[in-house]
Amino acid sequence: MAADVETLATVEALAGEKYAHGFVTDIEQEFSEKGLNPDVIRFISAKKAEPDWLLAWRLEAYARWLALDEPDWAKISYPPIDYQALYYYAAPKEKVGPKSLDEVDPDLLETYKKLGIPLKEQEILAGVEGASRYAVDAVFDSVSVVTTFKAELAKAGVIFCPLSEAVREHPDLVRAYLGTVVPTSDNYFACLNSAVFSEGSFVYVPPGVRCPMELSTYFRINASSTGQFERTLIIADKGAYVSYLEGCTAPMRDENQLHAAVVELVALEDAEIKYSTVQNWYPGDAEGRGGIYNFVTKRADCRGDRSKVSWTQVETGSAITWKYPSCILRGADSVGEFYSIAITNNRQQADTGTKMIHLGPGSRSRIIAKGISAGRSTSTYRGLVSVHPKAKGARNFTQCDSLLIGKDCAAHTVPYVEARNGSAKLEHEATTTRLSEDQLFYAMQRGLSQEEAVQLLVNGFVKDVLQELPMEFAVEAQKLVAVSLEGSVG
Amino acid sequence: MLAEALRSGDRTKLPGRRHEGWRWTDLFGALTTVPPLNPERQALGSWSVPIALDGVVVRRFAAPIQGGVEHVTLEVPAGDHRVVLDLIEAGQGRYVRDLAFDFTLGVGASLERLVMIADDADAVSVATTHVQMQARCDFAQTVLASGARRQRVETHVDHPGGAGRVRLDGAYLLAGARHADQTTVVRHLGRDGESRQLVRGVVAGAARGVFQGRIEVLQGADGTDARLAHNGLILSDRAEIDSKPELEIYADDVACAHGNTIGALDEDALFYAMSRGLPEAEARRLLITAFVGEVAERIRHPGLRDQALIFLAAQAEAFDGEGR
Amino acid sequence: MLKIDNLHVRVGEAEILKGLSLSVPTGEVHAVMGPNGAGKSTLSYTLAGRSGYEVTDGTAQLLGDDLLALNASERAAKGVFLSFQYPLEIPGVPALTFVRAALNAQRKARGEGEISAPEFLKKAKAEAANLKMDFEMLRRGLNVGFSGGEKKRMEIFQMAMLAPRLAILDETDSGLDIDALKIVSEGVNALRAADRSMLVITHYQRLLDHIRPDRVHVLAAGRIVASGGPELALELERDGYDKYGKAA
Ligand SMILES: Nc1ncnc2c1ncn2[C@@H]1O[C@H](COP(=O)(O)OP(=O)(O)OP(=O)(O)O)[C@@H](O)[C@H]1O
Ligand SMILES: [Mg+2]
Repeated sequence: MAADVETLATVEALAGEKYAHGFVTDIEQEFSEKGLNPDVIRFISAKKAEPDWLLAWRLEAYARWLALDEPDWAKISYPPIDYQALYYYAAPKEKVGPKSLDEVDPDLLETYKKLGIPLKEQEILAGVEGASRYAVDAVFDSVSVVTTFKAELAKAGVIFCPLSEAVREHPDLVRAYLGTVVPTSDNYFACLNSAVFSEGSFVYVPPGVRCPMELSTYFRINASSTGQFERTLIIADKGAYVSYLEGCTAPMRDENQLHAAVVELVALEDAEIKYSTVQNWYPGDAEGRGGIYNFVTKRADCRGDRSKVSWTQVETGSAITWKYPSCILRGADSVGEFYSIAITNNRQQADTGTKMIHLGPGSRSRIIAKGISAGRSTSTYRGLVSVHPKAKGARNFTQCDSLLIGKDCAAHTVPYVEARNGSAKLEHEATTTRLSEDQLFYAMQRGLSQEEAVQLLVNGFVKDVLQELPMEFAVEAQKLVAVSLEGSVG
Repeated sequence: MLAEALRSGDRTKLPGRRHEGWRWTDLFGALTTVPPLNPERQALGSWSVPIALDGVVVRRFAAPIQGGVEHVTLEVPAGDHRVVLDLIEAGQGRYVRDLAFDFTLGVGASLERLVMIADDADAVSVATTHVQMQARCDFAQTVLASGARRQRVETHVDHPGGAGRVRLDGAYLLAGARHADQTTVVRHLGRDGESRQLVRGVVAGAARGVFQGRIEVLQGADGTDARLAHNGLILSDRAEIDSKPELEIYADDVACAHGNTIGALDEDALFYAMSRGLPEAEARRLLITAFVGEVAERIRHPGLRDQALIFLAAQAEAFDGEGR
Repeated sequence: MLKIDNLHVRVGEAEILKGLSLSVPTGEVHAVMGPNGAGKSTLSYTLAGRSGYEVTDGTAQLLGDDLLALNASERAAKGVFLSFQYPLEIPGVPALTFVRAALNAQRKARGEGEISAPEFLKKAKAEAANLKMDFEMLRRGLNVGFSGGEKKRMEIFQMAMLAPRLAILDETDSGLDIDALKIVSEGVNALRAADRSMLVITHYQRLLDHIRPDRVHVLAAGRIVASGGPELALELERDGYDKYGKAA
């Protein structure tokens, strides 16, 4: 409730602000050679001082990728991507690996400060009263700059570090889980990621531990002509709980940049993972120039009985978004949730949704997807709910709503539902409407300007999803919603 | 696509999993060879429907003996009203048929159509209808399907808007290893069109029901009001329902919605009926008949509606003993 | 306060108001009665600035300012409040959020500062208590799932919070039970003030027992066909609208 009022107050402050994170950090960087070949993969692997098994794993993925075709079934269109015209590795020129905050390049610290990401633990502690603390892994192009609160987390037994560090420090854990949720050759972009992934976060929460703070990774693309291929692996052991948030931004550039990430979540018995994303990659300008191509594979394996994974996403950025955070509900009575807000404006295209694969008896899933299209954009919800014969008593509820603002945008809803047993219960509802003129008039009669009235109604429309976000981010996300729709009416 | 395969004898022309619209109705996988085209037909008469229905044009389509392709057209002149009953009758054996219907409705014309399709459990059968409408037309259709090895009834309506109305309903009751696919595409091309769809299905045994319904609203088709609902009941753990209701919207002043539910028979209702003295099998039959009966109740022509109810009741009967 | 002169309004193809004239001096409460379809709601929507209500002739002024030149929210900031005959439901937007946003927007348009959160809450609690409304209702989506009577109460609550100069109440009494009618009337009476005028549209004399109007007007076939003191309402109650039937 407070947030709604807050937004109205902040909309004013935000007026005129467009993409606030579009600056470039001028810093000396080191690149791999341009293009992709086995030597580039060896270069990346060597930079990360990886063991032989991982190099072999990457090379095998590369070989498979060569044999795959780029998928074409999504309702998105873009010129062919020249995979040889990209850099697959870029890093600030410094030694690789973790370091204390004092050693981090001041230019980088400044960058994160500008982005509003707290990296100094004492600053966070001295922060707003009542605000809960959260630990940050800050990834800058292909490397992690710093990870905060590691010591305090370690006390609880929680491992939170860059994936490259986990490969060195916790090889058994990484090896046991990496690629078990999203297999190497799962799809074209996941396969490419397996070959060239450069950074990402690793989280392990031991049995029975409730992670003492929110964890978050902040991804920043800085270098030009560079792809970002991060890979995140989160394991919640039996009875563990963790809430994780991912944020991302990039400079404004005329070129399109490729982002192909993979996220794997594993929840064992009675474990719970809450994964939130506020995706604000540069969306391109009003004419559709520039912006990130965001091809992401996110999947959770609810392996244990009574395990639970909840995906929440606020997708406002990127020129193209192609992502379907999914849950494989393997455990008995396991639970999968997907809460999504996808906002497209100008020339943005989003094809996003989820897959809920019910394998375990009593498994339950819930999908709330809200799409808002404005300008000349296209927003598609694409989802699959599949109930297998052994998933007796499975339940799904899906609600997909699309809101159209303007004459030149499009909204599509493509839900696949497959039911293979007689005790499942599935419900799906979808609506597509425009902003109600009656409601607008009603709000304006009471004195709101048109812009304010639209904000208010849009906030009401997305509220069910916003409230799933951790408090600190809900406010942030709400501001983003306001900014993303700026100039869409009038 | 099936007709093309039948005409050319080229199996690779058969639609199947590779095609997005046929992912759950795989004809390529179902047919290892394409039977030759043969103009001969099997005998009519498998149907017990009384043929004299007041004011209704009854058309009967006999099954081929091997491969059969048929193309049927119907024109309803401006301002006219027609009621049509299409009986697509069963033959015996592994015949493969492709029936194509083309309907053209003049300005202000109306057409109410009931399709009852029966096929042999070994047959492969596809009936596709394309409907062209003008302003102020009223097209209402109900498809009742009983399945085959692969059976598909596909309907495309181009809706010009202009205060025209479309109703596309359907029901399927499937037992054994039968498969039935109901696919609809309604394209709203102009302003102020209305469309309504209700499809209900019940599957038992190892049967498979498929429903795909797409509503497209093209740019400029403002004021469109389109609604679609699909409800399925699965009575057995080996049965399956696959569905894909789709919205593809390019206009902003619209009200479009779809709903899709799949589940078991309502236990509370079953208990209620049984507590009033109905034996379980009878209570089930009652609930199943009521469930699909709502589709028939939407038929305006009373004679046609009765035929639909009789057909559905007979099929509900066939579920006895097979429910679980 | 309000001065309407020879107002002609077209809705779609039809002319609904056909030369309506009406004046409400500052501080007065006037009632408008008339048969169904006479154009009472059309008048209130036109004054509030709903699109689709095309003024083809005539004027409407609020304290000398041309109302018709302003859009709906500008009129609200000027102090026009319409209690809707059929209040809207707005899912996902709690009533409190809605009213606070509206209040601040109006204050801003008038160059006043924002109301502080505690002050707003205090006021909202007090007004809700006056109207005997459950405060928790104000936290739910606006009017979602409310009964007809609850919706009307919510309208009066908003009126109290927004403190308009000119309040137009379009059949606020319909849908209210006897107790609610009393509560709502008391709420309205409490808002009577020397610097505020009201236009009360109703079908029933009994509302006017609670809210004593200074003047009563009869609207039939798009015009004011008779005006008088409170006794006119009693007369209408007794004789109906027959004698005004052919007035247009
Ligand atoms: N959008 C519209 N298009 C055409 N006619 C309309 C429209 N809205 C209202 N009308 C007509 O205008 C006339 C006046 O309607 P209005 O709602 O103002 O009546 P009213 O006096 O408020 O009646 P009631 O006592 O039922 O509330 C009616 O005949 C109504 O049918
Ligand atoms: Mg009225």
